[in-house]
Amino acid sequence: MRSRDTVTDGEIVRAVLAGDVELYAVLVERYRERFARYAARMLGSRDAAEDALQDALVRAFDRLADCREPDKFAGWLFLILRNRCFAERRRHQREGRLPEDAAEAVAAPERSDGAMERREQARELELALGQLTPEQREAFVLKHVAGMPYEEMAQLTGATVASLKMRMHRAYDRLRELMKEYR
Amino acid sequence: MKAIWLAIAIAAGGPPLHGLVAQDVAARLDGRVPPNVARAVQGIAQDAQARGLPIEPLIQKAIEGGAKGVPADRVIAAVQVLAARLDQARSALRDAGIQQPTPEALESGAYGLSAGLSAGQVRDLGRVSRPPYDPALTLRVAATLAALGVPPERGLQLMEHMIKSGRGPNDLLDLPSEVQVGMARGATAAEAAEGLDAARGGHEEQGKHDQHGEHGEEGGATRKP
Amino acid sequence: MMETFDLRVKQLLDGDLSLADLPPELRAEGEEALRLIAAVDRTPVKLTPAFDARVMAAVRQQAKSPARRVWRWLAAPREVELRLRVRPWAVWGGALAAAAALALLLSRPPAPAPSAFRNVAFVRFVLYAPGASRVAVAGTFNQWDQTAAPLVPAGTNGVWTTTLALPVGQHQYAFVVDGRRWIADPAAPAVDDGFGRRNSVVAVTARGGRIL
Repeated sequence: MRSRDTVTDGEIVRAVLAGDVELYAVLVERYRERFARYAARMLGSRDAAEDALQDALVRAFDRLADCREPDKFAGWLFLILRNRCFAERRRHQREGRLPEDAAEAVAAPERSDGAMERREQARELELALGQLTPEQREAFVLKHVAGMPYEEMAQLTGATVASLKMRMHRAYDRLRELMKEYR
Repeated sequence: MKAIWLAIAIAAGGPPLHGLVAQDVAARLDGRVPPNVARAVQGIAQDAQARGLPIEPLIQKAIEGGAKGVPADRVIAAVQVLAARLDQARSALRDAGIQQPTPEALESGAYGLSAGLSAGQVRDLGRVSRPPYDPALTLRVAATLAALGVPPERGLQLMEHMIKSGRGPNDLLDLPSEVQVGMARGATAAEAAEGLDAARGGHEEQGKHDQHGEHGEEGGATRKP
Repeated sequence: MMETFDLRVKQLLDGDLSLADLPPELRAEGEEALRLIAAVDRTPVKLTPAFDARVMAAVRQQAKSPARRVWRWLAAPREVELRLRVRPWAVWGGALAAAAALALLLSRPPAPAPSAFRNVAFVRFVLYAPGASRVAVAGTFNQWDQTAAPLVPAGTNGVWTTTLALPVGQHQYAFVVDGRRWIADPAAPAVDDGFGRRNSVVAVTARGGRIL
């Protein structure tokens, strides 16, 4: 009997569609950390990230029959989550607030005083990221948090490498400007 | 470890549709329609259930109204009309000699009435729909023909002829698309139906050479007798 | 006037250049930029312990809905057979220019389908609606939820499309254009929806789908 780890996403998706709903939990477990990190950086808070991720996972289940390539479930789920994050940001903007306004660090494990300064800088960068456009922020997060090369980013987001680089370079400049304001 | 790999019969999960009780109605409608509509529909559903009518179509209609942003009183009215049509369909099918019409037959009957069939026509179709013809299916086809614009008497006649000449139930399902093909070629719905009726005799002699196929090339007024 | 990073420093950040590649006068700026990037918090996000359980509870709830009861997956969709039936028809609304709805397309399952897979067929919905900014299909198969089945543009010619797996049975549906205009499919049979509008009808049969 094969172990959970050797089963491909495609096999699980097909099994779920055939009625093994409980198997969906394997996909949830596989991707929750990675996508939580993306959502947290996009939305600026863990709670918002959890909500967005939960919604995206349930919606992905609901529309599982629409997933044309079950082996690319992760990319497809990512798009659903991404749409959700963008929609959330638009909603916050309409309501005149950004989630970063709630003074909440995204991941704040206990640290000694020596690391306080680094934590402060991370917090400032987090705030600055919140001031970027969603596309700039996403490009930054994918490259510098998820470590994704431009080609992969292009595939995932549907943008060209050239436009991604342009967004990124604007993001760098903007971040520099914002960080200076915080000092 | 193995447990997660065993097929869990999810298909059996949830209450059977026919067993849905009226209390579930409010839960199903919660958040989808305003509370006053949910209450009213629950009342209609309780009443319908007591009379032995299926209530799932009522719930669906209410959800539809809610999703479309229809004003509350109109939603309630539409659900009431649907309940009345289910009742009417049942009377008609009983007159046809079907003592216990299935919920699907009743839904098809109500659909037929909303598409323009008369109660008498529902009854007549019920009479000719003996096994292997399921009234749920024949009524649906007749209703769809009417929805396409085939005058109900015409559509009914076509179906009765098809049934009498032994066209199988699955073949009846082709009728609406065959009418549509005829219409795409410029015929009216009535003309397209007439063309099918006239051709039926010859067609069964040719036999069906493509059970699963598209019937596009054979349909319509241009079919050779 | 905003002070921007030199292009080469940006390339450094992108990973296309190394610090050693930068001319001496840019090194300081390069290091500043690297420190900025390094400040980003890469620590993993700790999800609440009940996260998985909450997701699966919601998933099980979705799985119970009647439409999903006979939800089965077929092998990869076959070539969809196109049978276009264009009807002449009147413009509606102001925003949509001459729009004709194309016929419903059905794809068939592989011929000897195991009985477990007879309960659903793929149905492709197509609408020609140039000028629309979003299009969805809503019907009895998705509780009339206009967010559940959006169509996507198939190219730039104004055609929108999606393919859904629908269970066996009769379904009513309509297209929703720009979130507010409910439109029946003119090339499909239409019935009064009871609210003063029309719904379109499609029937999916166990043999692999029929346009009704």
